[in-house]
Amino acid sequence: MAWELASFPGGLMGDVPDLEGVRVDVVRGGDPVRITHVLDAVEPRVRPDGRAAFPVEDRAGEGRTNRLDGVVVLSCLDFPAEERPLHEQESVVDLAGPGAQLTPFAAGTNVVLTFDPRAGLGNEELEEWARTTTLAVAEELARRTLDAAPDDVERFELEPADESLPSIGAVMQLSDLGPLYYQFLYGVPVGRAGLPRAVDPAEVLDGAVTSGEYHWAGLRNPTIVFQRNTLVRALFLEHGRRLRFAGLVLMRGYEQTADDKQRAATAAAETVVALDAEGAVITTDAGGNSHTDVMLTVRACERAGVRTTAIVAEMADPGSTSSGLTDWVAEADSIVSAGNAEELVPSWTPDRVLGGDTLLDGTDATAAGPIPVRNYLGATNQTGQHALTATTW
Amino acid sequence: MLAKEIERAGVPTVFVTSLPTIATMVGANRIVRGPAITHPFGLDETERRRIVERALAMLESDVEATTVWEVDPA
Amino acid sequence: MVRAVHYLNQFFAGLGAEEAAETPPTRLDGPVGPGRGLAAELQGIEIVATLACGDDYFGEHEEDALAQLLELLEMERPELLIAGPAFGSGRYGFACARFSRTASDRLGIPALTAMHEENPGVAAVEGTLVAATAVNVAGMREALPRMARLAEALVSNRELGPPDEEGYLPRGFRRNRTAEKPGAERAVDLLLDKLAGETKTEVAGGFDRVPPPAPVPDLSTALLALVTEAGCVPQGNPDRLPTIRAQGWLRYELGRARTLAPGEYESVHGGFDVTFANEDPNRLVPLDTVTALAAEGRVGRIHDAFYTTTGNGTPVASATRFGREIAAELKDAGVEAVLLSGT
Repeated sequence: MAWELASFPGGLMGDVPDLEGVRVDVVRGGDPVRITHVLDAVEPRVRPDGRAAFPVEDRAGEGRTNRLDGVVVLSCLDFPAEERPLHEQESVVDLAGPGAQLTPFAAGTNVVLTFDPRAGLGNEELEEWARTTTLAVAEELARRTLDAAPDDVERFELEPADESLPSIGAVMQLSDLGPLYYQFLYGVPVGRAGLPRAVDPAEVLDGAVTSGEYHWAGLRNPTIVFQRNTLVRALFLEHGRRLRFAGLVLMRGYEQTADDKQRAATAAAETVVALDAEGAVITTDAGGNSHTDVMLTVRACERAGVRTTAIVAEMADPGSTSSGLTDWVAEADSIVSAGNAEELVPSWTPDRVLGGDTLLDGTDATAAGPIPVRNYLGATNQTGQHALTATTW
Repeated sequence: MLAKEIERAGVPTVFVTSLPTIATMVGANRIVRGPAITHPFGLDETERRRIVERALAMLESDVEATTVWEVDPA
Repeated sequence: MVRAVHYLNQFFAGLGAEEAAETPPTRLDGPVGPGRGLAAELQGIEIVATLACGDDYFGEHEEDALAQLLELLEMERPELLIAGPAFGSGRYGFACARFSRTASDRLGIPALTAMHEENPGVAAVEGTLVAATAVNVAGMREALPRMARLAEALVSNRELGPPDEEGYLPRGFRRNRTAEKPGAERAVDLLLDKLAGETKTEVAGGFDRVPPPAPVPDLSTALLALVTEAGCVPQGNPDRLPTIRAQGWLRYELGRARTLAPGEYESVHGGFDVTFANEDPNRLVPLDTVTALAAEGRVGRIHDAFYTTTGNGTPVASATRFGREIAAELKDAGVEAVLLSGT
């Protein structure tokens, strides 16, 4: 089953439709702009065959999809009410200054949609409005590519490969902690999506997974992380060269009891074994006890004979020499560090602020002190999207 | 833990003990299981030589972390 | 000019070699020995005095030595203490580490020390800045300017760069940097390496683990030492090694002994029945066997002293300290392999 991703220059970007209650700003990487209350980042996509770019019914990862290169849609919303305790943490993107390098996806054109919380709508309704509108805008922006010729077409297909190459799979952790903490598989919160299960890796690259999760800005995976997923792309690229890409298992992190965590880890390991993988890269979403799910999955895979490398962010107090790993098992002897999320980014004064003038902690967004890395969207990405890492000094 | 600290200084150390689980827990790397708490090197010279030779062999071997070797029975 | 005090051991202070290792803390005017070279490198910092202490004196009377040294240090009203370079000398490195740490903790004086990364003293620095040096005095020429730059950094409160650029030993703080490849590609590399037999990690979890040192290349020429946690001591326990929660360790010369004779040695370990051990102490410390093996050429030489403590109920922190102190002596004596017996 082959899938083609056709890339088009960002200049083909269409006009943003007029949206009631939404302020639209178009800014570029390098502009002295700070964007706050960022919910998600989405790359514009459209399908020439007319199917949905972010399908809820049809299968993704087949046929052809067009993408706009160097454009990202950012949604911003300051949730007005606490319908239920929202483990809110600030989510920032700086287009210039010392924090800019933490959000590489914002280096090009940023279409910033700031949603004005409408009177009468609760957090969940606002969230759904923001999310569905953002996805619709992302699709709309790519529409002009339908009449153009692509700069580049990538083909994603796993043809038979040399059997002597090691068989490597990936286990990708998705989150579901209830409303406002969902990731979606074909529009279904992953807690109800029958995980863990194997999918065609191209589905993840082609809009099958979207994000509606709003804690742990630096450690969570926004939609664009799936669309542009470096790990899946790397495994496709290496297929037939240094390895055979055995497949991709999606699993849910944040199982809510120790037993459920163990059950999910064991089931994920079994699914990886069923792919005939000798090794698996295991990724993480967000922070806190999702790291326990990852470590249990590492252990379950290793005990089932599948060697693992895990990707996690560290939460190391910059002034301390104690370990920054949230959780760990002895089998986790091969870990990629996505960086230390507790490190502070030096203060920076933007010329302009989008999203909201006041940070969640009440400080003025133009005069905020040092902001921790964990508040920069996708900074310590735990699918290995970026090159940020930590070393010992 | 003596073994770990001496190893930290770069000196290969083999720890002969009848309680290898404790030794592995505290992080000794080269461990040979001795027969008893009361006489980790055995009772007679023959047994002692066998255990010491096993220990010396371990000092000359590359090992993974916290490795326990048994002494082959006579 | 910033006032600094320099700490040296008896040898580098010119007081003598091993025969002067019992010298108690002493004060000398200005810079001495390598301190002169260091003073020439320092800018804006003056070595107003040198404190020296014998390595054995420090090791055997640590609390007293520290008390005396701190008193002497305070009298100089220094703004900085520089200790070493100790290179690979274990007892010296240990003394440098302990003196530096306590000078900072008790007197608030910033301290810098210097030694090789495998010096047992490194484990005792507890956060003090350590300039990395070669393993022996051949590295003096590189060590002194490096120490000078780090001393100046400490005094000016300049933020330090990465350890490998500035020449200090990593202290355990995690700092972000941009890798050459995204994490996903590094993960694939790590996993393929792991499948090929080479496991590495970018971040270590869990407990403090020491990787196994490389094997002894040739035991037939090596110096082997015997150490025991089984509380083996001369008959009568003349130095009163406690049977439980040992507060220290002891070293006993073996002289030309080829065996531990019953009646001459006993075990005072309070945690097991010592009948068997007392019938034949070689059952705890196999001197007879290793001496025979040395005579046969299987082992080069046996160290002429053995080390003993009781592993019974010793708190981890103490066991760690004992281990480091013993390691310091063993390294200084050129021991290449250790046979350690426990229960």
